[in-house]
Amino acid sequence: MSPVLRSASVGRRALLGLGAGAAASALLTACGSTSGTVAQPAGEVPARYGRRTRVVLWSTFADVPGKALQTLVDRFNAGQRDIYVDVQFQGSYDECAQKAVVGLVAGQVPDLCVLSDVKWYKFYFGDALESWDDYLDPAWMDRTYQPRLLKEGRLKGHTWWLPLARSTPLFYYNRTLFRKAGVPDRAPRTWDELYEWSKDITKLEVKGKRVALEAYQKIDGDWMFQCSAWQWGGAYSDGLDVTIDHGGAVAAAEWQRRLVHRDRIAYMADSPQNDLANQLIATHVNSTGGLKMLTEAAKAGGWELGTGFLPRQEEFGVTTGGGGLGMFRRTPRERKQAAAEFVRFLARPENAAQWTVDTGYMPVVPAATKTPVLARLMKDDPNVHTAVKQLPLTRKGDQVRMMVPNANVQIYTGLQNVWSADVPAEKAFAAVAERLRKNVDRHRDSIEEHL
Amino acid sequence: MTVTDAQRGGSVAAPPRAASAQDAGPRARARRRRRDHLLFAAFAAPNFFFLLVFAYWPVVYNGYLSLTDWDMISPVKKFVGLTNYVDLIADPDFRGTLWTTVLFVVGIVAGGMVLGLAIALLLNQKLRGTRVVRTLTFAPYVLSGAAVGTLWLFVFDPNYGLIRPLMAPLGLTAPAMMTDSKWSLFGLVVVYLWKNTGFVAVVYLAGLQSMPRDVYEAAALDGASAWTRLRRITVPLLSPVTFFLLVTSVITTFQAFDVIAVMTGGGPGTSTSILSWFIYDQGFRAFDAGRSAAGAMIMFVVLLLITGLQARYLERKVHYQ
Repeated sequence: MSPVLRSASVGRRALLGLGAGAAASALLTACGSTSGTVAQPAGEVPARYGRRTRVVLWSTFADVPGKALQTLVDRFNAGQRDIYVDVQFQGSYDECAQKAVVGLVAGQVPDLCVLSDVKWYKFYFGDALESWDDYLDPAWMDRTYQPRLLKEGRLKGHTWWLPLARSTPLFYYNRTLFRKAGVPDRAPRTWDELYEWSKDITKLEVKGKRVALEAYQKIDGDWMFQCSAWQWGGAYSDGLDVTIDHGGAVAAAEWQRRLVHRDRIAYMADSPQNDLANQLIATHVNSTGGLKMLTEAAKAGGWELGTGFLPRQEEFGVTTGGGGLGMFRRTPRERKQAAAEFVRFLARPENAAQWTVDTGYMPVVPAATKTPVLARLMKDDPNVHTAVKQLPLTRKGDQVRMMVPNANVQIYTGLQNVWSADVPAEKAFAAVAERLRKNVDRHRDSIEEHL
Repeated sequence: MTVTDAQRGGSVAAPPRAASAQDAGPRARARRRRRDHLLFAAFAAPNFFFLLVFAYWPVVYNGYLSLTDWDMISPVKKFVGLTNYVDLIADPDFRGTLWTTVLFVVGIVAGGMVLGLAIALLLNQKLRGTRVVRTLTFAPYVLSGAAVGTLWLFVFDPNYGLIRPLMAPLGLTAPAMMTDSKWSLFGLVVVYLWKNTGFVAVVYLAGLQSMPRDVYEAAALDGASAWTRLRRITVPLLSPVTFFLLVTSVITTFQAFDVIAVMTGGGPGTSTSILSWFIYDQGFRAFDAGRSAAGAMIMFVVLLLITGLQARYLERKVHYQ
């Protein structure tokens, strides 16, 4: 063996020893601390705002709502001298939450973060959220926000999550196609009624393609299906007891399975919203947040959009959804105060109204409905009014879907099996229920401790 | 017993200059060895440091995480031993994921190598335009997975995609490739084949162009047909290339993620949930770091085993020229 190789073998052992030592010590200290203060995500600040307190807002809004939020932020930045809000788009609700979790591990999170109605619980149960009560007067919050929506973000007497882009599912339909089919120009009162109408609706063709009755959303379809489960008298869970595998939830899924696989008048789609916009389907249950886009698509496509309350079956059921704002406990107090100032700005009636007008999200500040801009729109466009009228009838989603990590994904994966692979609902939901129960057992203590 | 100087091999009577020269030899060698050590350390240490930090440390830390129950937010990582591994092995969904991974890897690796070789054989012909075709064949390989996924979502769209006019003349309705669980895995394999086959073809082409001409001439003189020449000469002589492609393709296919994330999200249902997607799903959607890390360790061991088996058994059949 050459001297170099001999020495290399000795060196390798020494270095491996060193490496193992370093690894062991690092293991003990464990990388990724989840305590202590955190850094602020980097970003460009325009020179004219350079000396202000910078607030980073992680947003989930692109396109129409993205522009609407940026307009409000620009107005805020131009209207005072102390704070600069830097909006950073992070993708979908899921992606934004993922980045925030990783950011907490890495020690770098935003000062304000848009969190979905499902995802904020993850941060709350992990004691990562800051209560708004130290930064915004609870009495002011009570006076300002829609009580039903504000209550959803309140637990153990503190407010953790403030309403911003809240929505409910609405029943959208193509009025032009309804008229052509000779069915009443209104949302159906029951799903049975819609089924009756479907015989006429699905005879129609647009651009050589037969019109389908409806489409189910491949990703996040569990949100719309929450309403279906209630409408058929069932639920995902009763408290933390999983009930998806029997009763109304199974019946509702069987109904949809029949429409897809037996009647062939419905299907699962990547974007049912686009399919409604392109007149491939005549009806669709979708978020109020899609109202602006669909209104514009209908105008461009030369057809008329209608909206209504969701149809009932055994009972009426509609849930809330969408996003709200959270602050992380580990960011510095000064920036939290600045973030709260921006939240106060967003909650001014004229700004909340503009947000609703520009996006279609529900007016989370009741006073906004009295502003001229929103009052006029609600008068002129009955579709905007539908969401506001339906709001008092909404209820918060079932606990397991909201609070158990990944429950929403497990439910919509089960639904995909029903819609796509023709798996009987009972079988698909039995598998989902088994996974959910395991997850509930894993997280029960933490959930119960925080409620 | 006393050992004399003579027995030790030394010599008391030796002249002082000679003794000094003999002593200087080992000292010089030792100095040289030390210098070699230092030189080796100077060259190897930076690389080793980065390997340690960015390759070995994540594996070690991942192994540690796989023995814990951690939701990625809580400050406490609860040690649970091998529970995550036991749960995974007992989980029918995880076994389904492994089976899907096998189908996915076999489809892409086998399909890619057969298609890649066929394309390379065509490109190796002295025909006009082969350079352009070669570039076009290789181009998809350099595209990002996100772009490829978005592009193929349009192609596969049963209402507006390219697939519709392609199937219409045959009297067939375009299948909903990405929303029908019967088709989704097949659709993904097609996309990955489109993306990766160009690379396989170019590597095979390089192998073909370094083939000895005289062997082919001799075989042609002996009356060997084109098919026989392919079977008896080309394929055996390409075995080192095939071996390289097999090892690298299996590893990269196991790691496939980007196109799946854009096109199917592991669905519909779990029809396209391969191991890499499962690891992501458990880690970043379920925030179950322990289970995700255990899945990653299983993938690491599976890849290590496959690569080891390939090296042990297939390399023997490789014909190095």
